[in-house]
Amino acid sequence: MSVLGVAYAAAAIAVTAALAAVPLVASGYHLALGISLLYFTVLATAWALFSGPTHYISLATAAFFGIGAYTTAVLTDFLPWPLVLVAAAAVGLVVALIVGLSTLRLSGIYFVIFSFGLAEFIRQLVTWYEVNIHGSVGRYIFAETTSEGIYWRLLVLMAMVLGAGWLIRQSRLGLAVRVIGQDETVARHCGIDATRAKLALFALSAVFMTVTGAIMAPRWTYIDPAIAFNPVLSFEVVIMALFGGAGTLLGPLLGAVPLVLLFELLIGNFPNYFSIVLGTVFVLIVYALPHGVIGLLEAKLLPLRRAALVTGMSSFAEKVMGQVWSRAADRTAANDAPVLQLDNVRKAFGGLVAVDSLSFDLRRGEILGLIGPNGSGKTTALNLISGAITLDSGDIKLEGCPIAMLPAHHIAQRGVARTFQLVRVLGASTCLENVIAGLAFHAPPLWGREAEHRGRALLSRVGLDEKIDTPAGQLTYIDQKRLELARALALAPDVMLLDEWLAGLNPSELQVGIALVNALREEGLTIIIVEHVMDAIRSLCDHCVVMNTGRKIAEGPPAIVLADRDVIRAYLGDADD
Amino acid sequence: MTLTLDIVLSGLVLGGMYALIALGLTLQYGIARIMNLSYGEFLVAAAFAALFLYTGMAINPVVGLLAVVPASFAGNWLLYQIVLMPLVKRAKNQGMLEVDSILGTFGVLFVIQGVMLVTFGGSLQSYSYMSVPVHILGTTLALNRVLALVFALIIGGGLYLMLTRTRYGTALRAVAVNPVSAQLSGIDIRSASALAFAAGGAIAAAGGVLISMFLTFSAASGVVFTMKALIIVIMGGVGNMLGALVAGLLLGVSETAVARLVDPGLAIAVTYALFLSVLLWRPTGLFGRPAR
Repeated sequence: MSVLGVAYAAAAIAVTAALAAVPLVASGYHLALGISLLYFTVLATAWALFSGPTHYISLATAAFFGIGAYTTAVLTDFLPWPLVLVAAAAVGLVVALIVGLSTLRLSGIYFVIFSFGLAEFIRQLVTWYEVNIHGSVGRYIFAETTSEGIYWRLLVLMAMVLGAGWLIRQSRLGLAVRVIGQDETVARHCGIDATRAKLALFALSAVFMTVTGAIMAPRWTYIDPAIAFNPVLSFEVVIMALFGGAGTLLGPLLGAVPLVLLFELLIGNFPNYFSIVLGTVFVLIVYALPHGVIGLLEAKLLPLRRAALVTGMSSFAEKVMGQVWSRAADRTAANDAPVLQLDNVRKAFGGLVAVDSLSFDLRRGEILGLIGPNGSGKTTALNLISGAITLDSGDIKLEGCPIAMLPAHHIAQRGVARTFQLVRVLGASTCLENVIAGLAFHAPPLWGREAEHRGRALLSRVGLDEKIDTPAGQLTYIDQKRLELARALALAPDVMLLDEWLAGLNPSELQVGIALVNALREEGLTIIIVEHVMDAIRSLCDHCVVMNTGRKIAEGPPAIVLADRDVIRAYLGDADD
Repeated sequence: MTLTLDIVLSGLVLGGMYALIALGLTLQYGIARIMNLSYGEFLVAAAFAALFLYTGMAINPVVGLLAVVPASFAGNWLLYQIVLMPLVKRAKNQGMLEVDSILGTFGVLFVIQGVMLVTFGGSLQSYSYMSVPVHILGTTLALNRVLALVFALIIGGGLYLMLTRTRYGTALRAVAVNPVSAQLSGIDIRSASALAFAAGGAIAAAGGVLISMFLTFSAASGVVFTMKALIIVIMGGVGNMLGALVAGLLLGVSETAVARLVDPGLAIAVTYALFLSVLLWRPTGLFGRPAR
């Protein structure tokens, strides 16, 4: 652990100890305020664990909080406290896994409103059950506990949620969700099991919310669904986290504390005009702090944070959080079969047959040019190989093993890397982090110092030595292409799919690009290039497959296929047209 | 048989109102790209205005529409130009605008709600206007509900024609599909967005006036309407008017059916169950385009 690390740890322990001592001096109003501060901090931090990096704005906080509260209400007469909390965590986990599996494919606003609908649905069901089956809408909770007890339990929970957040950020899981949040397609092609990563964080976040509800329930003595599943809570938590800065660990805390205090202040001083003042203050805050509280702090502390980014990989954290991942897929050893075989592959989008009975073999160490006019199905073919889309019929084999039905992240782990026709880099991440995304999710995963070292070497390989800490979004177009190649190379691929990687380069850059691709072949990489730059095709390719309207119309060495009548007709049209 | 007809008719009236208020939100979110959490507050404010005009000045709600709807149009236009424009200008992408508009309109929600609380108090309000029974196809409906449905149809139909048959409507639809390309075609997207936002607010007000004729409301009901409108918009597919109409009617009928046939306590649960299952079946709504 570095000196800075020790200092942070010492500070964290000191602060926790000081907070733990609060109930010894404070009571009544102040203790109640402390409880409010703690529980909103826990909820906002837990919310941001999942929603911060993935940008899935969840309004289901109230659902999990309410489930926790009801677990306490039902079980507190039968079970001792610790078991009640364990039970609540378990219920929260099960519900979160079911909900997560069914909903994480929704995106954007659809997910937002779905999560809200879910919370309301659960509330309505519980209400109906309580009224019709249980016999009364509310329940009394006679738990043997005190305000101090609740405060201390929440404090422990806060330490746990912040600790979990820290561990995640320092581990591969944290990187995975940061990549997913920026571009899920890139994430999958880096070998990240996106569904698993999202589900893990969603469930963890939900467990913390559920336990918070379970701890808080005795404060009310009497609960009914309107209290426990209050939808306003979901909104408050979102607002606090966004206001503080959901993308950082301490942001939600920095949002929750001032807002809870503001609510208290306004209720105390302007009971009648509470909402008007609150609303006005709120609008003003949105203007004054465009990047939240954390944005304001970062503007002042930027150099410090930059340093923190580079050291943001901890092997200890990875050891704890790494359990989330299944082992990356093994590669099939090189054998006599062609590296890649397409056999009668077909893919239709509605009525449009994009790829039709396409077959070809890719031999070890060759560069295969996949060419044809625009719209002939080249990119679709690459998407089928890399698993971005699933084929309708036919077969694709990698080293003799069928891969056609494997998910994209599996195919990436097995050694197929790709770049995109429209360049896709992770704009908010540094170049180094972009490349580490490619290093960390195949077998054996690289993390920490090793990953950083290898990442720097790859960036240097593509000529980005100077840009290691630059956010990728600030790179020029050409540099973004280079970065994309470095990220693909980070997968240590056996097969590289380059989708118009040379397009848009000027003549001298083109020469550099061609030399680079050539050098990759010399190192034993097998490459498919989709390209319109015929000079590049002639000088690079050993073999060409020409496509038109989804079908293969010619195959052979470039000099021969480019002179083929059908090929010329496909590119230029008939002479008498 | 009568019961079925009764349910269908009452359901269609309710669903028609739902569809109308969802339409306004579609304009604001689909075209102006503002996730307006204070949408329902404008609806409730219009309901209060109708109440005030009717009980205080003896102006009936139908005439009241003529005053309330333009006022809300102007108010929403100003809200967009003054409060939201700075957020639109500084947003680098859609995601940032979404976060900022959620935060900003959340504040606006409280301001409007607070003003209504101070002015009208927190109690439930209603008034009686044209609550005489009419007989349609053998079932009985209150005249005010029928009237509301007729107006909803006129407003919704008019909006549809405006969006599909006029030059300006085409421009608005272009902005909804792709703001950047729309700009390249010479469309001033800021003024188009302001107009769409204002039109959305006007429809919210129309919905508020019509609903106030037959439902009770309070200063705190805004959120309920915002969420209901959002659910319908999402269920139909963002930016799709036909989707909003179908989803609205579907919710109206199913809510009424469950309330009458099964248990009124389950009506809202069924709304949400229906919504959740539609999204599980079609992740971008009934008529939505695949996202991204």
